[in-house]
Amino acid sequence: MSLLREHWRKLALLIVGAGVAVVPLFVTGTDARYVLKVLSFVGINALIVLGLALLFGYAGQVSMGHAAFFGLGAYASAWVTKSLGLPWLVGLAAAVLLTAAAGILLALPSLRLKGHYLAMATLAFGEIMRIAFVEAKGVTGGPDGLSGIPYASIGPLSFDTPQMNYWLVWGVLVLAIWLAANIVNGRPGRSMRALHGSELGTMASGINITGIKVRVFTLSAVFAGVAGALYASVVGFVSPSTFSLHLSVILVAMAVLGGTRSLAGPLLAAVVLTLIPYADAILPGLSREVMTVIQEWEADVYGLVIIIVILFMPGGIAGALRGVFVRGGEAK
Amino acid sequence: MGAPELLQFALAGLKNGSIYALVALGFTIVYASTGVINFAQGEFVMLGGMLSVWAHSTLGLPLPLAALIGILGTAVIGVVFELLAIRPRKDGDPLALIIITVGGSLLLSNLARHVFGPSERSLPAFTAGPSLRFLGATLERQSLWIFGLTALAVVVLTVFYSRTRLGRAMRACSINRTAARLVGVDPKRLVTISFALAAALGGLAGVVTTPLTQTAFNVGSSFGIKGFAAAILGGLGNPIAAVIGGLVLGLLESMSIAFLSSTYKDAISLVVLLLVLFIRPQGLLGRGGREKV
Repeated sequence: MSLLREHWRKLALLIVGAGVAVVPLFVTGTDARYVLKVLSFVGINALIVLGLALLFGYAGQVSMGHAAFFGLGAYASAWVTKSLGLPWLVGLAAAVLLTAAAGILLALPSLRLKGHYLAMATLAFGEIMRIAFVEAKGVTGGPDGLSGIPYASIGPLSFDTPQMNYWLVWGVLVLAIWLAANIVNGRPGRSMRALHGSELGTMASGINITGIKVRVFTLSAVFAGVAGALYASVVGFVSPSTFSLHLSVILVAMAVLGGTRSLAGPLLAAVVLTLIPYADAILPGLSREVMTVIQEWEADVYGLVIIIVILFMPGGIAGALRGVFVRGGEAK
Repeated sequence: MGAPELLQFALAGLKNGSIYALVALGFTIVYASTGVINFAQGEFVMLGGMLSVWAHSTLGLPLPLAALIGILGTAVIGVVFELLAIRPRKDGDPLALIIITVGGSLLLSNLARHVFGPSERSLPAFTAGPSLRFLGATLERQSLWIFGLTALAVVVLTVFYSRTRLGRAMRACSINRTAARLVGVDPKRLVTISFALAAALGGLAGVVTTPLTQTAFNVGSSFGIKGFAAAILGGLGNPIAAVIGGLVLGLLESMSIAFLSSTYKDAISLVVLLLVLFIRPQGLLGRGGREKV
C-alpha cells in the first residue's frame, strides 16, 4: 500500500471518528435518551461483531455461542458491581478474565481438530450457559435477572447520562478496532491470511495454526465479554432471555454480511442490522405500523440475508466495496 | 428405587431416545453426502409436526393422511432447501454450507411462525385409549407408535442402503466421491436425495412426537441439538451408530432425572456433546484413525 493511500486512509478514519464522537451534541429533544441508547446498542453489537469478524473473516471459523460470552461478561460485571459493590473496573476485569478462560477452554480442544467442530462446541456451550443463567439463581437472579446494576464509573468519572454511556461504549469500540487492526495488519494477520491460501503451506512455514486460531477465538470471546459488561451498566438490567441462540445467529449474520478479511465491512453490517429493528430512532417519521411490520419480519430477513450473501456475494459488504474502489478485480 | 420405577424411567428414555435417533439419522445422512452438519435438521422435526397439525386441524383430513402429509411435505421442503440454498454453492466449502444451514434454520422457523401462527399445537394420539400397564410401569400407546415407526424407518433405511442401487451409490459416494463419479454416480443428485431422506426422517420424528409433547415454530433448535449430540455420541456418518447414540442419550437423560434432578435434564445432552467432541470426536462407535492431511 502506497504512502499516499495510507495518509488518505488515516484522514478518512479521523473524520469518521470525529463524526461519531460529536453525535451526542446534535442529538437533542424529547427522544434524545432513546436515540442515544439505541446508538449505544449499536456500538455494543459492533464490538461483538468485530471479534466475530476476526474469527470468521480471518481464521475461517464460526461461533454459534457468542451470545453466551456476551451474557457471561454481563452477569460477571453485574454481580461484581451490584452484589459485591466493587468498582466498575473490577467488574470489567472479571468479565474479561471469565470470558478469556471460557474461550481458551472451549477453543483448545475443538480447534485441535480439523473441520468445524468449534461451531458445534460453541453451540453446546451457548445452550449450557443459557441453562446456567436461569439456574444459578444466587448469582444471576434466575429467570427474573438482575436489576439496579450501577452505571459505569472510573474513579471520579461517572458514566451516568445517556451521552456519557454513548461515549463510553464508542470509546471502548474505537480502542478495540485499533487493537484488531494492529492484529490484522501485523504478524498474526499475515499468518491468518496465509491460512486462507494453504493451511498445509502455512504449517510448513513453521506457523502454529492452532495457536493462532485459539488466540483469535479467545480475543473474540473477550470482546463479547467486554460488550456484556458495557451492556449491563448501560441498561442497568440483565436477564437470561437476552443471551439466546437467536442472538448468536444474528451476530453471525452481521459478520457474514460484513464479509471476509475486513473489519470495516462487518462493522458497517453491525451498525445497519442493529438499527433495522430500531429504525424509528434515526427516522423519526416512521409510523408504528411500519415498525411492527419490520419487527415482525426481521428474523426472516436475517435468515434470508445469510443465505443470499453466502451464495451470491461471498465477500459480503467488504467484497462489494473492494469491487467498487479497486478497479480490475479484488485487492489482495 | 424399585424395579417398576426404574423400568418407567427406562421406557421414557427409550421413547425420547427413539426421537433423537431419527433426528441423528438425518444429521448422519446429510453429513455422509456433504461433509457438513445441517443446522436446519431440527427445523424438519418442527415442520413435520406443524404440517401434520395443519393438515389434520385446518384441512380436517384424517390422521393417517395428515401424518403422511407431514412427512412428505417436510421431505419436499428439504429438497427445495437443497436446490435453492445448498446446490448453488458449487465449491461445497463446508464453512459456507454450515452458515447457509444456520440461515436456513432461522428462515424456516420464522416462516413457520408466519404461516402456522405462534401458538403451541397438538395432534390426537394415533390410537385412542388408556395407557398400557407393563411389569408395573405405564406406557402411553403413542410410545408404541414411536418405537414401531422408528424401528420401521431403520429397517427401511438399512434395506435402502444395502439392497438398492441408489442406496449403494450413496454409500459409495460417502466413501470416495471421486471414485463414485468415475463409475457413473452423480454426487449432486445424491446430495438432493440425502436432504429428502433427512427431512423425511425429521418430519417423521415431528409427526410421532407431537401427540405427546405438542409442537410450535420454535421447537426445532432443541430437537436439532439433541439429535446432533446423539449423532456425535454414536459417531458421525454411521447410521447404526446414530441410532445407538440416540437411545443411549435418551436413557442417560431419563436416568439423570431418576437419580439426580430434572433441572439438568437438558444440560445432560449438551455436556455429553462437549465431552465427546473433546475426548472422542469420532464417537463411541467410530474408528479411531487420525485424519490425514
